[in-house]
Amino acid sequence: MKELLRRLYEFGYLFKEYLILAFFLSLSILLLALNDNAQIRMIRSITVVSAGVLQEVFGAIPNYFDLGRENRVLRELNLSLADEVSRLREARLENLRLRQLLNLKERAQFGYVAANIIGKNLQLLRNTVTLDVGEQDGVRAMMPVVTDNGLVGKVVATAGHYAVAQILFNKDIRVSAKIERSRVDGIIRWEGGSRLLLTNVAKTLDVQEGDVVLTSEYSSLFPPGIRIGVVVSAHPLEGSLFQAVEVAPGVDFPHVEEAFVLMAVPDSARIALERRFHE
Amino acid sequence: MRQNAIDGALTLLVLVVQTTLLRYMALGGLTPDLILIWVVVIAIRRGQIPATVAGFCAGLALDLLSGNDGMLGLAALTKTAAGFLAGYFYSENKVLQTLSSYRFILTLLLVATVHNLVYFIIFLQGSEVSWWGAVLFYGIPSAIYTAAVGLIPMFAFARKALS
Repeated sequence: MKELLRRLYEFGYLFKEYLILAFFLSLSILLLALNDNAQIRMIRSITVVSAGVLQEVFGAIPNYFDLGRENRVLRELNLSLADEVSRLREARLENLRLRQLLNLKERAQFGYVAANIIGKNLQLLRNTVTLDVGEQDGVRAMMPVVTDNGLVGKVVATAGHYAVAQILFNKDIRVSAKIERSRVDGIIRWEGGSRLLLTNVAKTLDVQEGDVVLTSEYSSLFPPGIRIGVVVSAHPLEGSLFQAVEVAPGVDFPHVEEAFVLMAVPDSARIALERRFHE
Repeated sequence: MRQNAIDGALTLLVLVVQTTLLRYMALGGLTPDLILIWVVVIAIRRGQIPATVAGFCAGLALDLLSGNDGMLGLAALTKTAAGFLAGYFYSENKVLQTLSSYRFILTLLLVATVHNLVYFIIFLQGSEVSWWGAVLFYGIPSAIYTAAVGLIPMFAFARKALS
């Protein structure tokens, strides 16, 4: 027995590099298999909070070099927004009158939580951002993240005062969308590059360059009417019933620094009903 | 023990820089992989085992910061393998020579390329995104960018070697 243990020890010592590699690779594969259980959620939450504190400190550093330019841009923006607000106020009053005439139900109004983007994790096709708002601010997983230029993505993990959101430049994101002008439906996804794709659009449907793309009513996650971007090219795919539609996102992802979390949680009753029906 | 603590603290620092300041170095949506550079530096300075451990720990932290995307363990796995691979270039008597010469950049380029190939094999499982396309437009350019940024520590070590 002693001899066997000694030989095992010698074997282990001789191949210690490979044993350590095998151990960590097995652990990684185990994590890939387990993924979303309660313990891992807790560890993720602790990591996001700890890193969030550090990211907040480091994330503030470059802003000091850019304050003058930012100030000028904000003043210009303020001027144009003030003008836009007054025009929108008029439009809203007109809209209310028309809605009353048509007896339409007012769309649900959602609150917003302002957030700073304190971290950007731009790993190969796996892009996420860290926000400085979290569970204690009312933020929950699956809530949409937007800016004044449109949809940024959705919250995928939350902790005390921090949240991680997948942006539209993430291969796992799918958004039900429609063309504002012609009401053509499709699904927004990303396959790399600086453009989004509007897929499942038949060749015969009316899509033109410059068309604005919005979230559609078919989405169980995103409220309808959020701007996604503008069509930059649409051409038929050879040997297919569909056309290839490229969309330039409204949000400038590499430079976005502030965002809002839309306090809209998915309608669980609707999702459950649709799931039951499909089953 | 002291060296482990220093490397651990530096790994944490690199991780924070990777997820905060590095966005300002993004070129066409690509950023250099500082963590990979750091893992290769550890491999060349200290060998295969410390680099494997550092790769796993830093990769796992990166995974945890990526939110719940069903890929927890992916960066841990790829960076563990990268640390192990880089460890083959460890030579106790030539640490500074390797770190301060083109051999460091070549090692980094090789490790980053293998890392990205393995990464996309797992990450794109069940996805409609083409593996070749991802490797061509992201994997290889990202490896080249990482190797280019690796010139900074290489010159720093070269200066140290000269002094």
